[in-house]
This record gives sequence, C-alpha cells and structure tokens, in this order.
Amino acid sequence: MRKDITIEAEIRTARGKNEARRLRQSGRIPAVLYGAYKDSLALSVDPRAVARILHSPSGHNTIFQLNVRGGEVTPAMIVDWQYHPVTDKLLHVDFKRIDPSKKIRVRVPVLTQGDPRGVKQQGGLLEIVTREIEIECLPEEIPEHFTVDVTPLWIGQNLRAGDIPMTGSMRLVTSPEAVIAHVIALRGAATGEPAEAAQAAAEPEVIKKGKKEEEEEGEGKKK
Amino acid sequence: MPLMPKKVKYRKQHRGRMKGKAWRGNTLAFGDYGLKALECAWITDRQIEAARIAITRFIKRGGKLWIRIFPDKPITKKPAESRMGKGKGSPEGWVAVVRPGRILFEMEGVPRDRAEEAMRLAAHKLPIATKFIAREAVA
Repeated sequence: MRKDITIEAEIRTARGKNEARRLRQSGRIPAVLYGAYKDSLALSVDPRAVARILHSPSGHNTIFQLNVRGGEVTPAMIVDWQYHPVTDKLLHVDFKRIDPSKKIRVRVPVLTQGDPRGVKQQGGLLEIVTREIEIECLPEEIPEHFTVDVTPLWIGQNLRAGDIPMTGSMRLVTSPEAVIAHVIALRGAATGEPAEAAQAAAEPEVIKKGKKEEEEEGEGKKK
Repeated sequence: MPLMPKKVKYRKQHRGRMKGKAWRGNTLAFGDYGLKALECAWITDRQIEAARIAITRFIKRGGKLWIRIFPDKPITKKPAESRMGKGKGSPEGWVAVVRPGRILFEMEGVPRDRAEEAMRLAAHKLPIATKFIAREAVA
C-alpha cells in the first residue's frame, strides 16, 4: 500500500559495531537499502520515522519514498528490522527498493472476526495458528490485512489459508493447507500437585550408557 | 510433574556463563500475551512448575498456555558436610538458562486483565524481574 510518506536517510560511511553503537547513541540507527538489481547502500535513519511506519495500519508493507541525502529518491519498503530484546528499541532496518511494475512477495496479517460457535455454544477455545500469510502481488495491490470470519467454526473445525479469497494480481504463496485458526476443546485445568515432584528424583536415560560402562570397566582393568 | 529431559548425552555439565541478551526466543510466537525476563538466571524446573500452576489455577478453564523455556541443564550438588575434592557432585535438578529478553510464558484465549494478573502471580514464583507484554494488535 503506497503512502505519501518520505523518510530522510543519510549515507553511512563508517562501518562496524563501534560506529553503529555511536550512531545509536546519537539518536539514529543504521539501515541498509538494496534491491532492484542495484548496489546496496549503507544508510542511517531516524528510528522514530521507521517506528511510525511499522506501527501504522499497513505496517511493514507500507511503500514510501526513501530520500537518500545526496543520492537517490526511490520507493521502498521495510523488509526486515531488529528490536533490542529488553528495551524494544529499534536497532537496524533493511529497506528494499520497489519496482511498481513487478510483483513482490509480502507477508500480510490475517485478522479474525466474530466469536466462533464452538466457543460460544460448546465452550471451546479459538486458537490462531497463522497470523500472517505470504502472498505475491503488485506493490499497488498489497492489502493492509485479510479479515476472516470465524463465526461458523465448531469445535474441531478450522479455517485454512486456501479459504482466504485472493483478488487482482494476488497469488497465495503460503501453502493453502496451512491452518489459520481452529477451535479446540478445552482440557480440564491440569494443576499438577507438587506431590508429584517426588518422581523428579528419577534421572533421565543417558544415551550410549552401555558404551560408557564398557569404557569404565576398561579403565578399571587398567588400574 | 516438573519438566526434565527424557534422554541426555552426558549426566553432568559445566556451569557455563550467562552473558548477553536473549537474541532468540524474544518475541511472542504463539499467544497474545507473554512474560518476558529482564534479568539472567537459572530457572529451575520447580520454579517453572510453580509458575505454571499459579497461572492455570488462576485462569481455571479457558485460555491456553505455552511454556517457552525448558530446563535441560543438569545441576549438581555435593552432599552436606563433605570435604572439597573427590570429583563433581551428583545431579540434583534441572535448570533453564534464561537471558534478559527471553519470553518465559505465553497465553491466549483470556482477556487482557486476567492474563496480566495470571502473569503477575507467575512472576512471583520466579527469581528474576519480568515484564508483561502483549501483541500489538491486542495491546
């Protein structure tokens, strides 16, 4: 989905983790631009601009203008990004040049709608197995998301990727058999009393124990 | 029953180090809500089990729980009042090596407030600081 957003980027000349850390300290993050059979470019960008795109309704599938200072202006999209495991701050972003005339593969979120009958009437649980499906389409036709109605599902029934209707140039890349969501029966709450912990003393089986014993015997003979 | 491996190649392991962050297992993979470790620690099989029981007792029927860590590291201990030396102690239990950022538990099928309370109860059974996280779509 194309948006009238422009991200300003600067060419990054210094490389390596030390420079990358200094860059992050200064409030920018390292990024890279590649694709469209052109050379890759090491860039630095403002993480807030990237976060705004990632948190927008179209998310990472947003196509925007990437304005490299002193370089090219190209339509691009975010293809990969890294967060810090603890602070959840952006660490690095990969941009890909987009050719509007060529089909691309993208991962599109699948949202569920409604309460399944198996949950309302049978007391089951709706489990979402696949949250994104991969499709191939023209950049202009990338949907924000797919919405599937899970209301008709009873316990044991599921909804598969093949059930999602594709329009225009879209082609499903994910296996059509992939389960999107299913309604499962709830098992009784297994609380597992601590009394069972007594069994924990048992040791697991050691692989190749026989061989080890033979070796130990051999060592004993040597002594 | 607490978690432990079915088969192991060696009965005893070196202690190892807990440097760095959890660069794997740091995002929600199954559920809508999760509990994230903010410190590093050895989480024992008993602590995992205690946290699991706390969660399942609170949510009763309903909801699904995933345990994202597994205690696959054997811990040894020497008997009390024994002199030093004479080799490594005997296996006493199992731990999971947890680094900051690791998702410990995930949950789905419950409202956010119940998930938050369940995770709070579970966090009290663990020896480290944790934080509750939610998928962006449900946050």
